[in-house]
Amino acid sequence: MSIDVRNLTFRYDRGTSLEKTSLEDVSLSIDKGEFVLIGGEIGSGKSTLVRHFNGLLKPFSGQVTVDGMAAHEKKVKARVGVLFQFPQQQLFGRTVFEDVAFGPRNFGYRGNELDLQVHSALELLGLGKEIYSVSPFRLSGGQMRLVAIAGVLASRLDYIVLDEPFSGLDAENKKILLSALRHLNSRGTSVIVVSHRMSDLLSVADRVFLLDQGNLVFGGTPAEYVKHAPSHLPEITCLMKELRRKGFDVRGDIFNIDDAFSEISRVLNTKEAVRR
Amino acid sequence: MNTLFFRYVPGNSIVHRLDPRVKIAGMLIASISIFISSSLREMAVVALVFFLLALISSISVRVILSAVRPMLMFLGIIFILQLFLTEGNPLFSLVGLDATYEGLALGVLMSMRFLFLLMFASLLTATTAPSLMTTGIEKMLRPLPLKRLGISSFDLATMMFLSLHFVPLLYGSFSHLRDAQVSRGLDMARNPFKAVYSLSVPMVRTAFISAEEVAVAMESRCYQGVNRSSLNEPVMQKNDLAALLVFGIVMFLLV
Repeated sequence: MSIDVRNLTFRYDRGTSLEKTSLEDVSLSIDKGEFVLIGGEIGSGKSTLVRHFNGLLKPFSGQVTVDGMAAHEKKVKARVGVLFQFPQQQLFGRTVFEDVAFGPRNFGYRGNELDLQVHSALELLGLGKEIYSVSPFRLSGGQMRLVAIAGVLASRLDYIVLDEPFSGLDAENKKILLSALRHLNSRGTSVIVVSHRMSDLLSVADRVFLLDQGNLVFGGTPAEYVKHAPSHLPEITCLMKELRRKGFDVRGDIFNIDDAFSEISRVLNTKEAVRR
Repeated sequence: MNTLFFRYVPGNSIVHRLDPRVKIAGMLIASISIFISSSLREMAVVALVFFLLALISSISVRVILSAVRPMLMFLGIIFILQLFLTEGNPLFSLVGLDATYEGLALGVLMSMRFLFLLMFASLLTATTAPSLMTTGIEKMLRPLPLKRLGISSFDLATMMFLSLHFVPLLYGSFSHLRDAQVSRGLDMARNPFKAVYSLSVPMVRTAFISAEEVAVAMESRCYQGVNRSSLNEPVMQKNDLAALLVFGIVMFLLV
């Protein structure tokens, strides 16, 4: 059970003077239940890549399969959910409930089951009952984004792809979204997050891919990433490497704040002990 | 994603280099010819002229197709209406409605008219940079006594430029939205009503929001709408005039 991308090449506006290569011979595989991070600069081909996961774009050459089926088959849409950038634009329902129910309804859920899924998706993102019957257009920008995200989570698909889900969210909502994604992931859903800011997510991801100008330049675990990645290191890793360079005996492959904190305290404590 | 929809495709052909005024006037002549041509034979001439021009401008077939494809359903409806609602010799009968030979001919003619109008328009937008198009329109309108109506040719040209500018923009947000709703399980073919509803509501919203954003952006840069100059002033040259003359004569003689 996996999404398999083999030798995928894609070009926009083929056959005109505007033609540009967007993906060049990309191969990767994402297993069911994984938490995957796809990073890279803006324009590196991340969004183009994920549009192949549920068949919105067809490869120019190469193949994309989901659980063994070609990605453009209709059935794939019921397995891979994609949340695009600026998701608040896709809202249209009369009420928040109606909008979030759009996806699950299309995938055949009705009655109690539908209610349950809509409610649990909204609850997961910390949205209270008081907004269920409000028009989504009356909410704040951040809430609109969360409602749109709930609209994708509510379908309970096997793979959820989110394109820059954290941009435009404040710190509080970021935390809520991240814990929602971890919760879904712990129940077996594959979560694939596309982001040009990788540092926030390195500590939760199982695997990391880095795209650069349409080429896949790195694929591996976060630990391997901070050791070998050519660029886009998280700030905390840069700090640890700098401390090492300045002669502190800390590890240079740390990428989350808690580890960094305990590592620095450990070194400071041993220094103090030596002094005594 | 159909990113080529009525978009400027840079190139260096004779058609690309023509004065924008010539191309706009040519477009007007072409549309008049299209609407006065009343037989399939005349339509064939229009088609021939179009394909010659397309060949000279070395525009890819994809660009033209991308303009036509979204309108195919509309053309189909025109064809079917003409086919069944024109009186004459019966061709065949379907659920109590008679299709006629006259209807068939008229249907083909009418849908061809719209088809070639679209194709000429896409040729114009594909070979003319939007900024040159504005300048061209503005210069053509300047002699008209628009001041008395309270509008300047600059205003009008800017409005036209903005509408042209919004076509690919709106198309872009349409395909973005379509991707989003299809990913949420929307089946456009099986559920056309749902498709229209779930796409039109956000489309209208996005259109208003982005129109307002553009207005604010223009005002904050002190847009006044009068006496704007442009970076590349087009200069009418002999070959531009000659091209227009030849095109006009050819169209009128043939059609």
